[in-house]
Amino acid sequence: MAENKEIRLKIRRQDGPDKPSRWEEFTIEYHPKMNVISCLMEIQKNPVTADGKKTTAVVWECNCLEEVCGACSMNINGQARQACSALIDQLEQPIVLAPLTKFPLIRDLMVDRQIMFDNLKKVHAWIPIDGTYSLGPGPRMAEVKRQWAYELSKCMTCGCCMEACPQVNSRSKFIGPAAISQVRLFNAHPTGEMNKHERLAALLDDGGITDCGNAQNCVRACPKNIPLTTSIADLNRETNKFALNRWLRK
Amino acid sequence: MSTVQSQSPYHFLIRRVHSLLGLLPIGVFLTFHLLLNLTARSGPAAYDRVIETMRHFPGIIIVELVVIFIPITLHAVYGAWVVYTGQSNVLRYGYARNWFYILQRISGIYTVIFILVHVSALRFGEANFASLQHFVANPWGLAFYALGIVLAVFHFMNGLWAFAITWGLTIGPRSQKIWAYVCGVLFVVMSVVGLADLSAFLR
Ligand code: HEM
Ligand code: SF4
Ligand code: SF4
Ligand code: FES
Repeated sequence: MAENKEIRLKIRRQDGPDKPSRWEEFTIEYHPKMNVISCLMEIQKNPVTADGKKTTAVVWECNCLEEVCGACSMNINGQARQACSALIDQLEQPIVLAPLTKFPLIRDLMVDRQIMFDNLKKVHAWIPIDGTYSLGPGPRMAEVKRQWAYELSKCMTCGCCMEACPQVNSRSKFIGPAAISQVRLFNAHPTGEMNKHERLAALLDDGGITDCGNAQNCVRACPKNIPLTTSIADLNRETNKFALNRWLRK
Repeated sequence: MSTVQSQSPYHFLIRRVHSLLGLLPIGVFLTFHLLLNLTARSGPAAYDRVIETMRHFPGIIIVELVVIFIPITLHAVYGAWVVYTGQSNVLRYGYARNWFYILQRISGIYTVIFILVHVSALRFGEANFASLQHFVANPWGLAFYALGIVLAVFHFMNGLWAFAITWGLTIGPRSQKIWAYVCGVLFVVMSVVGLADLSAFLR
């Protein structure tokens, strides 16, 4: 693989939230089985651009390096995905790296995904079990249910679905598909089900489930293959029933 | 009991009403409108007779307001807001459904323009066979009408596909796909009916 002796990267740089952005190109030596993170590490060791100019090391975020934490999400050749599982041998060169566009930029490839965690709080994506005495073991979960619910629990709040969704942008308050799908997960749990009404009520709000436009990009962008559009349609049915029922009992 | 305080209790209701209006009455009206206009194929005299009968129907203006003008205005005004809050990315994510997403919006906007021209010319202007015949005698007028019919039907049928998700009828990918084919067939059938209406005026 003679032509693979080096790797060419084109990276969108920005020194801070209010600083101007620029493109920088880098050429690094090829090693077998490299991924985007290991390329960024090479640049960190020797931050010199392809035309020999000294520059600062590129800033990015990562933790697990095995596609389970979601920290390293970025746009790689135009598609939102994890840098740690983006293998160089499978990418077209020059590899174009850019930060996610739906979140506030911190620096270079690093963004602040706080809004996703705020949205999880908005929809009560947890199971309240705190009390002053032991509540004992909860009800059992049927195995068939556990199997599909497990798939939903794989969400790592990485933001790829938010990046791909046309309804998530600066003009809309849409909380996005990830938080909606977590409502389905926690409502499926036998203990979580006891607080179902709180999560469904949160989905009725401005920016809630009705703001989905059924473009269905999210389900394709999700690296964990979470059936996001199935969750959305299922919760459409649940929120309709919930809202109608609540209204009729007023 | 609920600790959640909904900040905008009407948001959900407004979106669901918007969705419902698309089918009832607007979609149903569109279907009847296209079917009834097949009478144009029997020639100018028959067509003008049907229009005259409709125009002198008692309380027609109330029916038109309640079944047509008010629902379409509400759906269109809120629809325009929905268009504004979206941000298409078909160039990066070129999936078919993403194209349908943007086409739903383009067809909605085109339909507003079309309806404004169509209604001001035919409902408030001179409504008869000859006036539409004159309009479509011009190739641009014909293209404007043909596109108006096809895009309105597209908007209705792609809307019907989304409607089934909005109301939680088609939940899994398989049912959504089958329903997409059904809507596709209905799109072709209704477009043919609409274009057949139009062809009656090309003489
Ligand atoms: C021929 C008249 C029209 C018919 C039959 C019609 C029908 C429909 C239907 C059935 C839906 C699906 C609702 C759902 O997602 O549940 C829909 C959605 C929509 N309509 Fe219309 N519509 C018409 C005119 C318009 C106009 C004039 C606009 C103005 C821009 C518009 C904008 C929209 C938008 C933006 C959506 C998507 C809503 C969403 O994704 O939540 N429509 N329409
Ligand atoms: S289906 Fe809904 S949530 Fe998913 S990308 Fe489309 S608009 Fe966004
Ligand atoms: S649903 Fe998928 S794409 Fe979205 S945040 Fe979770 S893991 Fe990432
Ligand atoms: S570093 Fe955790 S997903 Fe890539």
